Formats: sequence, C-alpha cells, structure tokens
Amino acid sequence: MHRFGKTGDAIVGEKSVTELCRHAVDMAMKDAGVSWKQVQAVSAASSRFSGGKGWGLNGNDIVEDLGCTGIPVYNLSAGCAAGGNAFNIGYSLVAGGIHDVVLVVGGEVMPKGMIQTSGVEDANDPEYLRQRCVGMPGPAFWATLARRRMFDFGTTEEQMAKVTVKARKCSESNPFARFQKAVSLDEVLASPYVSNPLRLFEICPVSNGAAAAVICSKEMARRFTSKPITVATSAVATIGFDDALPRSLAGPVPSGPSFHTEAKSAVMKAFERSGIGPRDISFTELQDNTCYYELAFPEEWGLCEPGEAERLLEAGETAPTGRMPINPSGGFVSFGEATTAMGVFQIAELTWQLRGQAGGRQVPDAKVGLAQTNGLGGNATAAILKR
Amino acid sequence: MTERDTMNELANTAALREPCVPGLFSEEEGARLHGARCTCCNTPYFPRVATCRNPACEESKIVPCTFGGEGRLWSYSVADFPPPLPHRYDKPFVPYAIGVVDLDSGLRVVGQMVDPVEVMRVGARVRLVIEPIHHEDGKAFTSWKFKLL
Ligand SMILES: [Zn+2]
Repeated sequence: MHRFGKTGDAIVGEKSVTELCRHAVDMAMKDAGVSWKQVQAVSAASSRFSGGKGWGLNGNDIVEDLGCTGIPVYNLSAGCAAGGNAFNIGYSLVAGGIHDVVLVVGGEVMPKGMIQTSGVEDANDPEYLRQRCVGMPGPAFWATLARRRMFDFGTTEEQMAKVTVKARKCSESNPFARFQKAVSLDEVLASPYVSNPLRLFEICPVSNGAAAAVICSKEMARRFTSKPITVATSAVATIGFDDALPRSLAGPVPSGPSFHTEAKSAVMKAFERSGIGPRDISFTELQDNTCYYELAFPEEWGLCEPGEAERLLEAGETAPTGRMPINPSGGFVSFGEATTAMGVFQIAELTWQLRGQAGGRQVPDAKVGLAQTNGLGGNATAAILKR
Repeated sequence: MTERDTMNELANTAALREPCVPGLFSEEEGARLHGARCTCCNTPYFPRVATCRNPACEESKIVPCTFGGEGRLWSYSVADFPPPLPHRYDKPFVPYAIGVVDLDSGLRVVGQMVDPVEVMRVGARVRLVIEPIHHEDGKAFTSWKFKLL
C-alpha cells in the first residue's frame, strides 16, 4: 500500500497514479514473495480521474512500468467499488482455474474538492438535471439518509460524531492512514456542517493513494507461505429496482424500507456462497464515506439488530476489541477516499488483521474478515477472507 | 431594496419566468412535473422514460402523465455550501434545505425546499410549487420546489 495523502502534501506530493500504484505493487509482491515474471494477469481498478493514457487504462500503465511481459490486463470501472470489482475478477480468474497468480491493484490521484458531474449540459443526463434543477452535492445524499435515521431511531448528532472519534482512534496505529491523530467529540462537533446533519470530520475527503494484492491458487500458495490467507468468496452486485434511495431525481415510493440494495445484495451473496454467516464475522471493513454507514450497514446485513448500532458503538463494541469491530483500519473517514484504491485497501487490511500484524488496531484472534464497497452507478462488492 | 433586488422582483413576474430546463415541468395550470406512468405495473417515472424499468413488469405500457399536489417529507438535508456547476444560485449564497418527498401520487422526488432549514421536520406535509432558483439577464429561472403546508 502507499500511504494516503493529498496532492502537494509531504506524503504523496505530486506523485502520479502510476508511481503510487508501483509502490503498492512492489510492496505486495515483496510481501507475497512473488516476482513480476510470475504474475500471469493484472486486474486493475480503473481511475476515472487520472492516469497516463487518460482513458482509465491504469493496468496498462502499471504493466508498462513494471516491464511488458505480454500478460492480460483487465481495467475495471465501477466508481468507488472498482477496487472491489478488480479483486473479484482477480479472484474469479484464479478460482476458475484460468490463472495461478494474479495481481490486483487500485490507485487514484483525485481532483480537488467535491466530485463534479461530467460537465456536459445534457438534459438527458439525470445527474445534470439533479444538479441544475435541485443542486444536491454528494454529501447531501448521505445527509438525507443520516437525517432519516435520526427520525427512525432517534440517533443524535453526538452519536454520529462518536463514530468518527472511534475511527480516528484506530487510525493512530495505522501507518497507511492519511490522518493518524485521534480527535475528541468536541472537535468533531465543532467542525462545520458540510451538509447538515453531517459535519466535515464525519465525511471522508478525497485522497490520493494506492493498494495492491496478490491472489494465487491454493497449490501455488504453498510454495510461498505455510500460512496463506484464504479468499472464502468475493461477490459483486448492483442496485435493485425497489432501492428507493434518492440517487436520481425520482422513483416510486417503496412499500418497504429504503436502503442500499446493492450493498446488501453483495454481502448476502457473499454469506450464501461462503457458508459463512454474520455471526461468524470477526471484523468488518465497510465503506464509511460518512459515519452514517457504520451505524446502518451492520444492521442491514444482520451483523446486529435494527436500531442497535448506536448502543453497540457507545459500549465500545465496534472498536477493534469489541464484539462487532467495524473498520479497525480507521476507515474512509481516516484515509479519505482514493476511489479505485478502496476495495483493494480493504483486502490489505483484512490480510494484516488475519495474520495478526495490525499492531495497535489489531482485532484479537481475528479469524474471518468481511470487506464491502459501494460505487457510483449502483455498484457494490463484498469479500470474505479467512485464516 | 437594492437595484438588483428590484430587478429580481420584476423578473419574478410571469412574463420573465423561464424554466431552468425546458419541458420538465410547468406552472400554467398549477405546479406539475412532466413524467410518465406504466399502466401495466403502475410505476411512476420522472423524467419520462421510453420503456418501463420494473423487472417484474409483464409488458411495458408507458403513458405520459404529470405529478403535483401534496406529499410527505421522507427526509431532508442541507446544502451548507454552494454546489458546483451546473448548479446556479443567487449570490450571496444562502444555504437551503433539499427535500426527499413522497407525493401522494406514489412518486418519491427530490427538490429544494422553499422554507428555511430551521423549520424543517421529517414527516411534514408539503406541496409542489414552481419557484425561481436563480436570476440572470433580468430573468427568473425556475425549478420545482416543495413548500411546507
Ligand atoms: Zn411496468
């Protein structure tokens, strides 16, 4: 992994996405004991924002940089879920017996400020209409969900701020996090609203960073290590028709509850295919673009009961040492979002946790980890790794 | 009142009102959103679609229809900072609430709220209106919004 940072800072400076990815890839191959010549395919999360060729051909840039061996390269686009998609394709190629050693990589150099629309004034583009006619920046979508949760369960702004306090406490012992300093409840509550009720410290900023992982067949793994980490499963899903979240201009009023159908669908598929249930999960890395998700997602996936998340948070049960650890890495709130890197960053964290190498943020005796991403366009992924 | 305020006031008169995107909504016969409905599965759409997107629908039968009237505020958020282009707003920027409204006609739709953030509450009854979102070149550019009842 390359530590996350922001353009111009002491961490990532002016490094290109290829440089960041190269650093992560070198580290992953060294960790695995795999040489570049042994890699049989590359599955890359394709950047929407940067890259030498400017067309989301991250994987090709990386292969060119490492030396063109003529191997197949898959460039995958799925918004912020792209890293999870890249991992899924890498996993599928190995599980399906097509290749023995596959490199998965994601990296990003993000544009500054809020992510904007395509910039084309096209009345057929629902996102253009939403911005022109309503003016609903990204965080406002999350804020409507958070506000609704406050109505449904009586969640307070203090409770949401406590999610950030917990996350940033974890980040203190994560050398790859962009922010590695704890924050107090008062500091979070003193940060300005970005979109009421969500505050600056409760929303992930955009970051630059990269992550990589090597997946290989069980037979091959024995050559490199006596204690491999096993991919129990990897699943991809997209949004359901009955989703009802305000992602576009309008949709039908649902008959049941409104939630992220793509995320739940990916996680349920992962449970079903692996035979591993919510009660078997030692810890979860989920996509916390905002603290709201740390409260809502565990309930939607059956990790805990509806309306129970705030109590678990306040009892310390979502901390690494609790009964339901969520985002021991520090999460997106501590890393910031380098879109295509996120799904792969989670795989790296799961691996370190399962090996017992996570230092001060270690989940004691972690046996099974769940990773989940969401991405623009209604994409989601889930992966379960075990010791 | 400044000269600009006066201009804006004048621009709000019917002759100088112009939809920020043409064809999506109208106000001549009351505030209406121009959408569609599938007569087979009853799914409402805004904006219009060519075919029904409901995977459970037996046969797509899309007919144009309009939506308006009253509904209930499902949730809301606040634009505390001005959104980037293509959004346009009058300066200085005043934070506004964004509502997610369940119209009684079965459509869940997002829109700016007319009333200030302080009086918003989830579950409130609201009505669809057409109101200016910004002023430019002596014209008031309108969009649909919701007003608390
Ligand atoms: Zn239909």
